[in-house]
Amino acid sequence: MSVTAHLTIKNVTRQFSVDSQTITALQDVSLSVTEGEFVTIVGASGCGKSTLLRLGAGLDAGHQGEIRHRGNVVLGPSLDRGIVFQEPRLFPWLTVERNIALGLENAGVSKAEKKRLVKEHLELVGLTGFAKAYPHQLSGGMAQRAGIARGLVNRPDVLFLDEPFGALDAITKAHLQGELQSIWSKEKITMILVTHDVDEAVFLGDRVVVMSPRPGRIREIVPVNLPRPRERTSSAFGEVRAHVLQSLNGTASLAETRATAGETKPVLPRPAIAAVG
Amino acid sequence: MAVLTVTTETDAPSRLPYPWRSRAVGLAVALVLPAALLILWWAASDRGWLAAQILPHPLDVYQTLRDMVASGELLYHTAISLRRVLIGFAIGAGFGLALGIAMGLSETVEDYVKPLFLAFAQIPTLGWIPLLMLLVGIGETLKIIIITKGALVPMTLNTFAGIRNVSPRYLEVARALRFSRWQTLRLVIIPASIPFVFTGIRYGLTHAWTSLVGVELLASSEGLGYLLVWGRQMFWLDTVIIAMLAIGIVGFVMDSGLNRTERLIQRWKRNEI
Repeated sequence: MSVTAHLTIKNVTRQFSVDSQTITALQDVSLSVTEGEFVTIVGASGCGKSTLLRLGAGLDAGHQGEIRHRGNVVLGPSLDRGIVFQEPRLFPWLTVERNIALGLENAGVSKAEKKRLVKEHLELVGLTGFAKAYPHQLSGGMAQRAGIARGLVNRPDVLFLDEPFGALDAITKAHLQGELQSIWSKEKITMILVTHDVDEAVFLGDRVVVMSPRPGRIREIVPVNLPRPRERTSSAFGEVRAHVLQSLNGTASLAETRATAGETKPVLPRPAIAAVG
Repeated sequence: MAVLTVTTETDAPSRLPYPWRSRAVGLAVALVLPAALLILWWAASDRGWLAAQILPHPLDVYQTLRDMVASGELLYHTAISLRRVLIGFAIGAGFGLALGIAMGLSETVEDYVKPLFLAFAQIPTLGWIPLLMLLVGIGETLKIIIITKGALVPMTLNTFAGIRNVSPRYLEVARALRFSRWQTLRLVIIPASIPFVFTGIRYGLTHAWTSLVGVELLASSEGLGYLLVWGRQMFWLDTVIIAMLAIGIVGFVMDSGLNRTERLIQRWKRNEI
């Protein structure tokens, strides 16, 4: 792992104006990610975690401060930075394999190479045999696998994942987290994953970035020094989770005093998932 | 765990064990009302509820139909009408598609063209006939223009709506994957708006067909609309009824043909059970 920072976010502030009111989604956020690292960002709704991710991916702009990837300022989307959305956003008119191949549309690879890469990634996410299926024939979990494959097929340097398992049931979710983790250890791609699920953040991250809302700031960065694959039921895991939860609960009570009612959802521990792992 | 992730509904075709049986039932149900009408008509003629000059007996109509088919008269008029519709529709739908795409993709084009277009669309197709008669006479050109207009309006508006309704989420995927404008159009916008375009085609063809009959009623010496007028003038109500049936059947066949094509093209859509 190189020592030089791979992705640096420096003093980033992002404001939106809604109905002539200025909302500060991110305030003075700085974060440095090393190559091959898995960083998870966790926080309550409205803490700006998705905004941060979108800025990193280059899908949003208009911020103050600077985001650099391999030393270059991020000015827009790039094939070096992939993204996986919460909804898989597969094109319903294309088969699974053609959806995945979209990630290679501008990669400048030959047809044969394209075919090989798509096949390889279908295998990687466990969708072999579903190449010719249409998205409506897939379950939610399978569709998200295809979404991940589309994000990965181009071999990005960094993969941003915006609550990729947020819409899945607990069992499928736990399973896919395990698979994502093994893909990450196999492929050595830097991953930055946003979630509101503490369990997921601790299970996957080398570091867990805890964010607090209104305005969105980094409250704490919790390192997770546990060997992989992690045991969700182990006491060491429980300790880290408790730490993150405590940090988050601080932000939640903070948010309650500031927030307009009904906008923040308190983050609760998820024992159901811990039992499945 | 592995079992859980593999158990997903695959492409189970939503078909009954005997597809022909359900299709036969559907056909029978669809024929109930026409059959009832025919019986009513038959009874009305038999019992003299209406004079034969006003409502001819079904058997007489059938006899006239056989004569008209045998002499080639019915086919001749139908072919003339169909030819006009196909030419006018091709022009109208082609222009409508281009105009809809242009307005959908460019707000500048929309700002310039849409207000005038909407005003233009508000004037019923037949309302153009008096002016056009003076401009281009009552020949083929008049009919083609009227049909073109009938097809153009729904085609333009639906194509426009289709392009504007492409989900921003898909467009964002296109941005993330660094699609060029052309790639975005080819891989996202066009396939996403095809359902709307098809609605435009269907409405366009229906409008083209109905406005054709309208213009043939007013200014023609051939075609199914002419057959209607001529039959009425001669007081040959059997001819009138046959012309009406032909107009209805041709329209129905065109619409269901398009419906099938649409389903074939959009196999990716969820099968409705």
